[in-house]
Amino acid sequence: MSEATIERAPPRPHLRSDTLGLVIATIALAALGIALPALGASGYIRTLVYYSAFYLALGQAWNIMSGLTGYLSFAHGALSGIGAYGVVIAMNADWPMGASLAVAGGAAVLASLVIGATSLRLRGAAFTFATLFFQELMLLAVRKLPFAGGPGGLVLEQILPEWIAYVGMILLAGVATIGFALIRRSRLGIRVLAIKGDEDAAASIGIAATRLKLILFCVSALLAGLAGAVHALFTASLYPDVAFSVDLSLIALAVPLIGGVATASGPALGALLYVGLREALQLIAPSAHLTILGLLLLVVVLYMRDGIGPTLARLIRRSR
Amino acid sequence: MSLALQLLVNGLVSGGLLGVAALGVALIFGVMRVVNFAHGEFITLGAYATWLLVSQLHLSPLVGLPVAFVLGALVGVVVQAVVLARVTGRPELDVLMVTYALSVLGLGLFAQGFGGDFRSYSQGPHGNLDVAGAIIGWRSLTVLLACVAMSGATVLVIQRTRLGLGLRALAQNRDSAATCGINVVAAERIAFALASGLAAAAGCLVSMIGTTTPNVGHDLVLDAFVVVILGGMGSISGALVGALALGLVQSVVSYALDDSWSRMVAYLLLYCIILLRPQGLFGRAAA
Repeated sequence: MSEATIERAPPRPHLRSDTLGLVIATIALAALGIALPALGASGYIRTLVYYSAFYLALGQAWNIMSGLTGYLSFAHGALSGIGAYGVVIAMNADWPMGASLAVAGGAAVLASLVIGATSLRLRGAAFTFATLFFQELMLLAVRKLPFAGGPGGLVLEQILPEWIAYVGMILLAGVATIGFALIRRSRLGIRVLAIKGDEDAAASIGIAATRLKLILFCVSALLAGLAGAVHALFTASLYPDVAFSVDLSLIALAVPLIGGVATASGPALGALLYVGLREALQLIAPSAHLTILGLLLLVVVLYMRDGIGPTLARLIRRSR
Repeated sequence: MSLALQLLVNGLVSGGLLGVAALGVALIFGVMRVVNFAHGEFITLGAYATWLLVSQLHLSPLVGLPVAFVLGALVGVVVQAVVLARVTGRPELDVLMVTYALSVLGLGLFAQGFGGDFRSYSQGPHGNLDVAGAIIGWRSLTVLLACVAMSGATVLVIQRTRLGLGLRALAQNRDSAATCGINVVAAERIAFALASGLAAAAGCLVSMIGTTTPNVGHDLVLDAFVVVILGGMGSISGALVGALALGLVQSVVSYALDDSWSRMVAYLLLYCIILLRPQGLFGRAAA
C-alpha cells in the first residue's frame, strides 16, 4: 500500500495570509452566529445554526486526526459520548461547569490514549479496528454501568439557560477550525503530512511517527469530548443509544470528507451541506437518510477525493 | 455433563456461522488486501432473500441456501467491478472509506426496504433431537452441517484447485503472481464473488435460527473481524479455528452472564490481540 500512497500530491502549502484570512472569516462567522438571536432569528434557524456548529466541531476534531494522518477513526461519536457523560455526571455531583467540562475533555483524552497506545504503533487498519470496536464496546459498557444510569440514561439536574450551549458550541466550532488551521501550518502539521505521504520515509528522517499520531489523536479527542459535553448541556438528557450511536461517528467523518478533507474550511462547507441535506430529506424522504449519506460518501470518495469544496474550487479555476 | 454438551453444541453452531462469515473476510483481505466493512450487508442480503422466499413464495428455507449464494455472488461481482476495482492502488484511507460507505448504503437500503421489524418464519426443519440430555434443534443441526459443508468446500477449492492456487499465489505476492500470468483482475473478482456468495448463504442460515433485522449481518461481521484478526489477517485456517474458539467462548459467557457480556468479551479480546500479538495467533510477523 505504501507505494500507492505516494501518488497523492502534497497539499498546496498555505501562505500566512491564507491562514489570517481564515481566522478572520471564522471569527466573523462565529460572531454573526452568536448575534443571531439578538437579531431576531427564529428558533428554527437557531437550531440549524447550533447543529451546524456541533457537526463542524466534531468534523474538525476528526479532521485533525484522520484528515491529517490518514488513519481512519470510527470512534469520534463515542469520544463525544464520553464527554457528554463526563459533564453530566460531574455537574450532577455539584461540580462547577468549568471543572465539569474539564472532566469531560480529560475523560475523552484518556480514552484516546487507551485506543491510541494499543493501535497507533501499528500500520494500516489496526487503528481503524480499535476505534470501531471501541465505539461498540462503549455502547455495551455504558448500558451496564450503574453510575451512568444504565440503559435508561441520565438527566442533567441543573436547568441551564439555552444560550450557554448555543454560544458554547459556536465558540468551540470556531476554536476547532482555527486550531486545525494553526496545527496544519505548524511544524507538527508538516511532519504529520509527511507521515501521511510516506510513513517509512518520514520515520527515516527522524520523525517520531507514533508519538505525533498520538498527540494529534489526544487533541482531536479533547475537541470531540468537549463537543459532546456542550451538546449534553444542550439536550440535558442522555441515553446510551443516542450518546454512543454510530450515527455521530458517521457524521464526524462525513462532514470533512464531503466538504474537503484535510482543509480548514472544508468541514464548514460539509457541516452546512449535511444539515441542509438532513432538513431537506426530512421533508421529502425521511427514511432515505442513511441511503443518501452512504451514496454521497461513495461518490465523494470515488470521484472527488478532496471533497466538494476543493473540487469546486478547481473547476472554477479551470473555467477561467 | 448435559449442560457442557449443550454449551458445546451452541458454541459450534454460532462458531460455524462465524466461521463462514470470517472465511469471506479473510479471503477478500488475503487476495485483495481490502478490509471489507460491507461484508455484513451481504449476510443481511441473504437473510432477507431467504425470508422473502419463505414468506412470499412459500418455499423451504433450504432452497434459500443456493439462491442466496448466487444472489450474493452476483451482487458481489457488480460491487467489485463498479466500485472496488476503482480504488485498487489508492491510499488505504480511500479503500476503507469506500467499503464503509457501501456498508452505510446497504444498512440504509435494508432499513428503507424492510423497516426495523424483526422477521422470522416457522417453516423448514423443526423438532428437536435429544442426545445424552442435550437438546439439539434440527434447525441448529442443519445450520451446523451447512456451515461445515460450505467451509469444507471453500477450503478444498482454495487448497486443491487451479483457481485456488492462483488465489493463494496472489495472496502471497501480488506482483510475482501477475508476472506468472495470473489474471489479477479476474482472480480478485472471483474471490470477491465467492466471499459475497458465502456471506449471503450464511445469511440464509442466520434467518433460519434467528430473526432478521437490517443490522443482523453487521453485528455478526463485527465478531468475524475479531476472529480474522485473532487468526492473523488473511489466514483462512486461522479464521476458522478462531471462529470455533470464539463461538465456544461466547456460548459459555452468554450462559454464565448474558449476551452483551459475550460481545464485550469478544471486543476486549480484540484489544488484547492488538496489544500483545498484532500479527494474530497464527499469523507471521508483518514483513
